[in-house]
Amino acid sequence: MPGFSVKKVLLEEGASEHAFAQRILRRLPETPVQISTPTESGEYADEEDMGKGTLHLVIHKGDFLKPCPGTKEYICCGYQILNLATNCPLDCSYCILQSYFNQPNLRVFVNLEEELEQVLQTIDSNPERIFRIGTGEFTDSLALDHITGLSDLLLPEFSKRRNTVLELKTKTDKIKGLVASKHRDRIIVSWSLNSPYISAREEHGAVSLRKRLEAARICQTEGFALGFHFDPLVYHDNWKEEYLKTIELMDRYIDPKGIIWISLGSFRFMPELKSVIRKRHPESSILNSEFIFGLDGKMRYFKPIRMDLYSFVRENLETWHPNPGLYLCMESNEIWQKCLGWSPKNSEGLSRFLDKRVGEIFR
Amino acid sequence: MRDDIMSIYNNTEGSSQPVRLKDIEDQPGPYCMSFGFDIEPLKRSLRRAGLINSPLLIKNRHEQLDIIIGYRRIQALKSLNRDSISCRIVSYSELSDLECLLLNLHDNLSFREFNDVEKGMVLRRLSSWVPRDEILEHYMPFLGLSSHGPTLDFFLKLDEELDEKIKESIAEGHLSLHASKLLLEMDIDARLSVFQLISKLKFNVNQQKQLIEYILDISNNNQETISEILEDVSLKNICSDTRMNNPQKVHSLLRMLRSRIFPRLTDAEKTFKRTASALDLPGGVRIHYPPFFEAPNYRLEIFFKSGKELKDKIERLSRIKGVSKLRDPWETDT
Repeated sequence: MPGFSVKKVLLEEGASEHAFAQRILRRLPETPVQISTPTESGEYADEEDMGKGTLHLVIHKGDFLKPCPGTKEYICCGYQILNLATNCPLDCSYCILQSYFNQPNLRVFVNLEEELEQVLQTIDSNPERIFRIGTGEFTDSLALDHITGLSDLLLPEFSKRRNTVLELKTKTDKIKGLVASKHRDRIIVSWSLNSPYISAREEHGAVSLRKRLEAARICQTEGFALGFHFDPLVYHDNWKEEYLKTIELMDRYIDPKGIIWISLGSFRFMPELKSVIRKRHPESSILNSEFIFGLDGKMRYFKPIRMDLYSFVRENLETWHPNPGLYLCMESNEIWQKCLGWSPKNSEGLSRFLDKRVGEIFR
Repeated sequence: MRDDIMSIYNNTEGSSQPVRLKDIEDQPGPYCMSFGFDIEPLKRSLRRAGLINSPLLIKNRHEQLDIIIGYRRIQALKSLNRDSISCRIVSYSELSDLECLLLNLHDNLSFREFNDVEKGMVLRRLSSWVPRDEILEHYMPFLGLSSHGPTLDFFLKLDEELDEKIKESIAEGHLSLHASKLLLEMDIDARLSVFQLISKLKFNVNQQKQLIEYILDISNNNQETISEILEDVSLKNICSDTRMNNPQKVHSLLRMLRSRIFPRLTDAEKTFKRTASALDLPGGVRIHYPPFFEAPNYRLEIFFKSGKELKDKIERLSRIKGVSKLRDPWETDT
């Protein structure tokens, strides 16, 4: 990411009629633009690169707001995904997007502006419900913000609604657009964190942990609520010392009282990802452990390894602050109970817990 | 190119002539897509009924005859020691390479399914003449494959990179496609060594996949080459153990490799089994752990012939003191 630049823009037929696309093109005056049909570039032309240098402005035909695809076997947080782009300029070895999408390029949905109305209508017509919405599931929320200006579009709308929070999740320090905005309420800026070892070896293109936390501190000073995600937690040599270093860095930069939640999720993946990682990241050590088939068909660490990871990180985060809003991502009732000392029992229970955190931070 | 294959075919009618079989190359040539077939049924049919449909040949720029349609028939007739047969012959000026290829493809599709090696041959040959998008959209479905880029890439690699012996095993249905896909992740020497092990001990489809995944995992996790893994003494000992038959060797080998990848899981399984067997359970009573210990519940299995026997066994079970101490094997007393 530090040296990232868009080398080419692919403009789907009809996309240029959207004001959002026009604004993006104005921000890239020197970048060559090529017109594409909706069926073109339907597959990876270059599997190694995945089209990370190509910004593809497309018209999205599907829903923009979707529930996070949880499974009944594990407890899910009941998050809603605002689907505004797919793929990511960062190149983390463990990224599920490598096998999740079969289309290349950094695809940005330029009809978002028009379709956002529908999303907001859904939110407004359910005033009793809290919508926890995120944009960082299928892309990094801020990596392209300097080009797309998405924060300009989203913050004013989400900031004024009382039954929603918008979480922008990133591994970058691209916070200029956020800080320049006058909107703070109901906006959560979140960083994915890992051990320095994993961050340096596996999170290609992401900025260092220190830079992430420096950016987080600026956002906190500016009045944004913060979230953190230790996801994926990775079992590796000296993992305890390494994760402690990250928690120590957090302590140096962040006031824990302004954190809405911290999630913990151990590395898990669809089996198909394994061969992609071996091929695209032959130097990676991310697969060096005991991965078993989980109840949802994904590969995950053997249970006691996950329990070691969660228990250790929990203990140290809670030493830092007794109530950091810890929750587990896609784990069982049993693991919750054994590692966090309590359990929401099911996905509804976890939703209630997180909704309550929203109420406590955004009064 | 003319898009009506039938009209191309019909235009070649009426030019049958006798051809000496020795004037036709033994190799399939640029248009035929036959691999790993059993020629004997065709020979029996030709012996009994003779040649019903004449092969179609093309005289190439060097005045040599290439087969467009009828490769198997010609091979069968050659092995029956026939001298000459009637063939239809066209000139290279009448049909383009792609038209020859498509004639062969559709002729084959009309009466048989391609095996997986042949599908790779078809796709690679088409890829010289037809844009990738068109292959994906039109030709993959003809072959019963989904229009999926990585699937196309896999079949192209299968054709280009796999050794003939491995291809034969795929065509014969011995080596699974999944296993061959995993083998393609290895370098040539490693691939052949693993393939030889699979062939020698006759791994079934699931075992092939397991073996290759274990080997790739060990190689990846421990930075060992595949040759080093296969040369390991304990693996060699299993393979050469004359007290075991092949299925026993396969089980033993897979168990040994699995314990290298899953040391904690293997320990947990051993500990649990040891604990359960020390309980002195009544006969016909078993306790099972969930797969990988992932689900939270263990399972009790009781075999019984009558209600009385069931009751007796339950009563005996309830008196076994150690039962209440059963727990996840990694849990400690502290």
